[in-house]
Amino acid sequence: MRYSTDFLGKSPESVLIGLARTGSRDAFAEIVSRRQNRVRNLMRRCCRDPALADDLSQQVFLQAWQSLRQLEDPNRFAAWLKRLAINLWLQHKRRNDPLRDADPHDPGDAVIEEQPAIALDLDRALATLADDVRLCIVLGYYERMTHAEIAAFTGLPLGTVKSHIRRGTKKLQQELAAYLDTDEEST
Amino acid sequence: MSIDPRIQALFAQAEQVFDRDAFLHGVMRRIDRERQRSLLVGAALSIVMIAGLGLLAPPVITALEMATNLLPVSLVDIETRWLQLLLAPINSVAAAIAIGALAIVKFFRRILG
Repeated sequence: MRYSTDFLGKSPESVLIGLARTGSRDAFAEIVSRRQNRVRNLMRRCCRDPALADDLSQQVFLQAWQSLRQLEDPNRFAAWLKRLAINLWLQHKRRNDPLRDADPHDPGDAVIEEQPAIALDLDRALATLADDVRLCIVLGYYERMTHAEIAAFTGLPLGTVKSHIRRGTKKLQQELAAYLDTDEEST
Repeated sequence: MSIDPRIQALFAQAEQVFDRDAFLHGVMRRIDRERQRSLLVGAALSIVMIAGLGLLAPPVITALEMATNLLPVSLVDIETRWLQLLLAPINSVAAAIAIGALAIVKFFRRILG
């Protein structure tokens, strides 16, 4: 059954999830439209490579479509999607095979928008961090998760998470000093 | 020192708004490809199963016939009619197999706790 764009655009996410669970591609497309920015930004902060970040983001939504029926509470969709994204990133790191599933002919993979200077500099600074440290930093600063939540998400011990955040913060303060000093001057 | 609010602000400023159409198209294409692949795999498996059933049906039927004939065979010949009837539930190949299976299950349960 097809639903009008207007209806889907106005529907709350829990309704869209219910429709997508019954196999509605249109409802799922609406969910992707609403959530893609957040997932892609998260992946960009995790990856050094924007093309890889978008490829992984597409895989996140593919997995979400395939396992949507396993989602028990539609109101927890955002957290569930974030978990899928982080698990996919961790799996990717374990495989250590950067572009294995990337499809060079897929227009979704090829279109990479220009990044603003601040995003470029932030990603460059993040790239200087070790993978685990970067993941903890991104979850702490971008997703605003607590140390305990990060530990639960990543499976890292709480003490390790705290030390990763401390070390990562110090490094970012050095790498992004120009931005941070400007902030201090302006305040 | 834990979370630096200045760095947190930088993360917020660096958040981009992406063009969603190309991305959405890519996701939906992947979903379609995956669906086609599942259909192809399902069709291939069905063909293999049908072919397998066609090939295996005669030997399976023969084996089932043999089992049907063998299972009620008495283990011990008993002359007395009433004793023969009384012991019939345990005096057969089927009963021996069932008792053996129960003993094996009990043995493994005891070992595995």
